[in-house]
Amino acid sequence: MLEFVNFYLIPGLVLGSIYALGAIGVTMLFGILRFAHFAHGDLMSLGAYVALSFVAGIGLPTILALPFAMVIVALASVGIDRAFYRPFRKGPTIIVVIASFGVALMIRSLIQLFWGVEITSYVQGIQRPLVLFDSLRIAERHIWIIALTVVFVVAMHLFLTRSRLGKGMRAMSDDADLARVTGINTRAVIAWTWLIGGGLAAAGGVFLAMDTQLNPSIGWNAILPIFAAAVLGGIGKPYGAIVGGLVIGLAEELSNYPWFGFEPLLSPGYKSGVAFGIMVLMLIFRPSGLFRGRVL
Amino acid sequence: MSLLEARDLTGGYGGMDILKGLSMSIEAGAVTVIIGANGAGKSTAMKALFGLVRLSEGRVHFDGADITGAEPETLVRRGMAYVPQERNVFPNLTVEENLEMGAYTISGDLGPRLARVYDLFAILKEKRRQAAGELSGGQRQMVAVGRAMMMDPKLLMLDEPTAGLSPRVMDEMFDSVLAINDQGVGILMVEQNARQALAVADKGYVLASGTVRFEDSGAALLANPEVSESFLGG
Amino acid sequence: MDSAFGIMMYLVGLLTMGGIYAIMSLGLNVQWGWTGQFNAGIAGFFAVGAYASAILTSTGSGALMGGLGLPVPVGLVAAMVLAGLTGYLVGRLCLRLKSDYLAIATIGIAEILRLIVTNEGWLTNGTRGVSNIPRPFESLGLPWAQIAFASLIVALLLVLFLALQRLARSPWGRVLRAIRDNETAAEAVGKNVVAFRLEAFVVGSAIMGLGGALTAHYFKFIGPEATEPLMTTFLVWVMLIVGGSGNNKGAILGPLLVWTLWSAMEIVTAQLPPEWAVRAAYLRIFLVGLMLQVVLQRFAGGLIPERRRGT
Repeated sequence: MLEFVNFYLIPGLVLGSIYALGAIGVTMLFGILRFAHFAHGDLMSLGAYVALSFVAGIGLPTILALPFAMVIVALASVGIDRAFYRPFRKGPTIIVVIASFGVALMIRSLIQLFWGVEITSYVQGIQRPLVLFDSLRIAERHIWIIALTVVFVVAMHLFLTRSRLGKGMRAMSDDADLARVTGINTRAVIAWTWLIGGGLAAAGGVFLAMDTQLNPSIGWNAILPIFAAAVLGGIGKPYGAIVGGLVIGLAEELSNYPWFGFEPLLSPGYKSGVAFGIMVLMLIFRPSGLFRGRVL
Repeated sequence: MSLLEARDLTGGYGGMDILKGLSMSIEAGAVTVIIGANGAGKSTAMKALFGLVRLSEGRVHFDGADITGAEPETLVRRGMAYVPQERNVFPNLTVEENLEMGAYTISGDLGPRLARVYDLFAILKEKRRQAAGELSGGQRQMVAVGRAMMMDPKLLMLDEPTAGLSPRVMDEMFDSVLAINDQGVGILMVEQNARQALAVADKGYVLASGTVRFEDSGAALLANPEVSESFLGG
Repeated sequence: MDSAFGIMMYLVGLLTMGGIYAIMSLGLNVQWGWTGQFNAGIAGFFAVGAYASAILTSTGSGALMGGLGLPVPVGLVAAMVLAGLTGYLVGRLCLRLKSDYLAIATIGIAEILRLIVTNEGWLTNGTRGVSNIPRPFESLGLPWAQIAFASLIVALLLVLFLALQRLARSPWGRVLRAIRDNETAAEAVGKNVVAFRLEAFVVGSAIMGLGGALTAHYFKFIGPEATEPLMTTFLVWVMLIVGGSGNNKGAILGPLLVWTLWSAMEIVTAQLPPEWAVRAAYLRIFLVGLMLQVVLQRFAGGLIPERRRGT
């Protein structure tokens, strides 16, 4: 039981939190701008590497580097939208999906160009996990990741339900045309969606790098689970994305558990296929997702 | 001078022109009704007034200012409000949140405005924390109109406000619209129930093929045999 | 300095690889240009074709299921069939939904295939890859082997081009265009839009499989890097968009042009001192990505925009 919690449940929650942070942005962008943002994973990578610059360059602890990474990537996201996506606002969304595919590669190549390709991490050496209650072993970074994710999620909730901008975002996600007609400042809402989506993606990227290692593809490798989480939760539903992210993260980690007998349920090599499998099932049986979001 | 003045509007969607030289003037505080057969361009005309349609020719003036092609946000601030025919509420927002969106451009306390809308549509106050998507058709329509009223507009534009409603609810909606007009708000209405609408209209426009065929007071149009035969079902 | 012979060999190589990319591009054109479907997992279909042909034709490399040493044409046909089948499965799943879903699903397929390739060593030799893949005309020796192979590629390209031009003008092709230009009208006339789209997707996938197989035979080796999206998926997209999507001629011109540019850039960066050369490779990728954005924004039709008949 303890082994289950320590080595499967907690890592699952951590991974799920990371996916949730990425999925929130993706689902909001899906809902408001109606396209699958292929570069979202690479925004996460960008966040991780920007944080690295602060950690390696100034010697800041990773957690303190986090806000800088979030702000910088948030602003960069708005800039990317202006330069590469806004020209295609009217017209078939598939064009902007292609553009985002290109942006993904551009971000990744810039990371490789400026930061190199060797695998690094924020903190060198082995970190010993904390031991709580005499038996629960949890790494310190895991505590940070889960705790901060909770903070972000609560902040999102308050923002979406208490602030005018947040409600405007939900309105635009429901019906962008009606939002415009109602007199909502759609440009501002879109800009804030990018700011928040980008900022949360950066956080997810930093957490991902904290949990594993830094390499230029970590974000891209997460894009499939993140999309799967968004589909699972229902397109356009931020709360759904959070649930979806947690489900996918837990599923990936728990698929390794020897549920029946001594062998893992799924060979560890196929762990990243779990997300795809879940998404396929959703698309076949319930494309609107658990929370009945939009089917594009 | 009229509150809303449209001259020679020509335009449509994509490459096609639906409106062909449409001119209208809507007086402040009046009830103006637009009727016509399907495809005559009624909804398009209303959308064009609100800047939602590509116009190759023509200009729209509101309250003396040229608003041709202005963003809806600006129009809402100037005192125009538009209620589309379909998908006119945010289904995942609560009733109260829907109403709040109507006053998005205003910062500050929306309490008094909300109170006025709840006076108008009492049942909305009861259901204000319910998701708008769960309401009945008639109640959703109330939310849509209530949302438009949040800015105390000078002109309320309604695209077929009674579409899909049962007869009793339809009558209630008409009553509410007239009550709003009594408060001094101008009404511009596209309506399929031509007879009923013209009966309460100060002025009516009969559209055909993207332009105005008949323009007169509501009563005169009702009495006009040509109008009666072609557009009111005899 | 390179001798004239070296330059000629270089050009032959350019033509070979450019030609293979042109074949891939023609396949993508059937999916994107003719029916507007965004396949973000080209690398997956490429890999299916490459591995299928490799396994069937290689003369044994280690503990591999293959080593069957079947003739190359068998491998090529098998590549097309299997890639087409994969396309069928993916298409059945996604074509009812909006194209964004197809994009995500095709990425997923490429990922799943990567996992299979890496994990199922008994079939694919895992990360070691499949080697000893026969290349047609090998025995002719330098330079005729290369020239003959390049000619094979060009011949296949021409055959494919003519076949696709024929197909485009056929009733089937006309329906596809009708669907792309006005789907609701086509449906109103009673055409089963989803079925047509699926057929086009399968055809495109099969052609991509052929491209993968040819690459495997060219390099005589295939490994899991084949499933990496950069070179295949992204590059083919840029090539098609630059060349002119919707257009078979553009689908040939674009790849040849972009591949030449890409290789030329490679030569330039190879002249730099080593530390710079590696970084410059990423600059190359960045510039190609930027080129894609510029073309998308300014030259939406590509170099050879498609002439719309009728309007």
